[in-house]
Amino acid sequence: MADLSSHAVSGGHPVDADKAPWRAKLVPWVFRAPLIFMVMFFAIPMAMTVVFSVFERTMFWMEPGFTLFSYENFFFSARLTNFLSSMKYSLISVVICFVLGFPIAVFVRKSIPQVAQHRVVLLFILPFMVSEIIRVFALRPVLQRNGLVNSTLMELGLIDEPITALLYSHTGVVIGEVLSFLPFIVFSGFLAMEAVPKYIFEVCDDLGVGPWRRFKDVILPLAAPGIFAGSVFIFVNGLGVALLPNILGGAGAVNAGLIATQAITALDFPLAMAVSAIMMATLLSLLWIGHKLFDLTKILTPLS
Amino acid sequence: MNDYDNIWLHRLKWAYLLLVVLTLMTPVIYVMYVSFNANGFGANEYVFTLEWYGLIFSDELLIGALGWTVILALVVTVVAVPMALLSAKYYKAADNKLFPIFLLLSPLFVPPDILGSALLVFFKNLNLVFIWLGDQIGTSLFDSWFRLSFLTATIGLIIYTIPYSFVVILITMGRYRTEQTEAARACGANGWRAFWDIEFPQIRAGVFSACAFTVILVFNEYTRTSLLKGGFDTFTTVLISQMLNTGMSPQSYAMSAMVSFVAIAVIGSIILFTMLRAESLGRIARAKAEPVMS
Repeated sequence: MADLSSHAVSGGHPVDADKAPWRAKLVPWVFRAPLIFMVMFFAIPMAMTVVFSVFERTMFWMEPGFTLFSYENFFFSARLTNFLSSMKYSLISVVICFVLGFPIAVFVRKSIPQVAQHRVVLLFILPFMVSEIIRVFALRPVLQRNGLVNSTLMELGLIDEPITALLYSHTGVVIGEVLSFLPFIVFSGFLAMEAVPKYIFEVCDDLGVGPWRRFKDVILPLAAPGIFAGSVFIFVNGLGVALLPNILGGAGAVNAGLIATQAITALDFPLAMAVSAIMMATLLSLLWIGHKLFDLTKILTPLS
Repeated sequence: MNDYDNIWLHRLKWAYLLLVVLTLMTPVIYVMYVSFNANGFGANEYVFTLEWYGLIFSDELLIGALGWTVILALVVTVVAVPMALLSAKYYKAADNKLFPIFLLLSPLFVPPDILGSALLVFFKNLNLVFIWLGDQIGTSLFDSWFRLSFLTATIGLIIYTIPYSFVVILITMGRYRTEQTEAARACGANGWRAFWDIEFPQIRAGVFSACAFTVILVFNEYTRTSLLKGGFDTFTTVLISQMLNTGMSPQSYAMSAMVSFVAIAVIGSIILFTMLRAESLGRIARAKAEPVMS
């Protein structure tokens, strides 16, 4: 604290200059402590996945060595097909979330008075605050053969037979992903729309630009960094949240998270680490591409 | 909204927004509805009962798990929120902002199962290293430091919750004007006093929201907790293992509903409190602005 604020008090001596020198030296480290913690227990463990993934598998654990067996095990088996197909469905979820959620962010920024905007966005925190696992599990009685959706549709006379494709299928997983991650595209879209001043809408109206061109040529380029960050979040979580395919998916619905947790249950730790390393590589390259294309630091402007 | 807009279109958009929120909440509301039914899910007859909730509170395993969950949530909050506050202060003053922000926000992007697995293997290896180090100097003092335990679960959950607290605190700090700290310092206050008496009261709302967020996130979390915990169970791990092993029982509906009620109550009271506070502050401001009539 002392060293941080003494930046601000330029010229004069810091008031508490007489305190013990060891204390003065300690204070800046207190502020760095959380970062050191994050490096030790987040950055290093994530980087170490690459190292552990080339270790030799033993009966119950692993031992230091160098083998690419885990990667072979991943890339030359059904796991790769499953991984790629989960990428496809994750991408579909991203598109659906964007189409359903982003207009809400635009609407809130454009048509709701500034003071009330945050409160409206708070509405989307409500579902997000209920445990994701419980929301996903709760989808079972909703989508089941005799569940809420089917019984409602049948009572309305819209269908004669229950729709069984809603659960234990790829459709079920996509529905689960959309319902779990939709709030995130609203939040990130809301932050992204900070980059689109309100007068833009009036300028577009005055120039007689239609809603589609306004969206394509003005809003999209300005809000791109935020939209991209939100989409990466949904995409990566669609690949990595094991419980979605585990609870809602059927045959063939396996994503990276499920491969990793199944490997851990089977005590194949190097394989689990290889999957984690592949996921981290996917995430970092997506973020890198996004940064090159849109300069992701722009999202942080409202924060600094 | 401007005058050229169609009022009905505006209402339609509002209706869509509320419909989306309702759709997101439907599964939860449906579970709550089923949890009060004496006949359970799918029955033809609906009879209101609190029987299933009674079962939760007579189940010792669940009460024990509830205890662990509360302790875990409190410990993580007490450690993670001050850490987030320190990082936010550090970030504000830092010259190179990219590194801290990347480090503090990237846990958001790492899926739960991946973070959990990576930390699990890391801790198991760290534990082996510590045991080996202990053997070298002839002590068994380090043997259980990083065995999977309450500590490892706490570390995993701190990493998970720090980004949320950090962002919430940073946003409230955005409204604070640092000249006030400078003024306090110039008047002779030391760093701590300037923070505690001047800055903290202004960012208090953000810090409390961060606490509430952290408690709810820890309470709800399943994947990371279940991978990193040692020999204890939290509410969600018991619930999910029951659901995965025996399917949804009436009791598991009641448990899910209860967790949701707690979360909604906490966040609902925060929203209500903020709105009431804004209202009363507004009233005070209006009262002050009114001319004195005598």
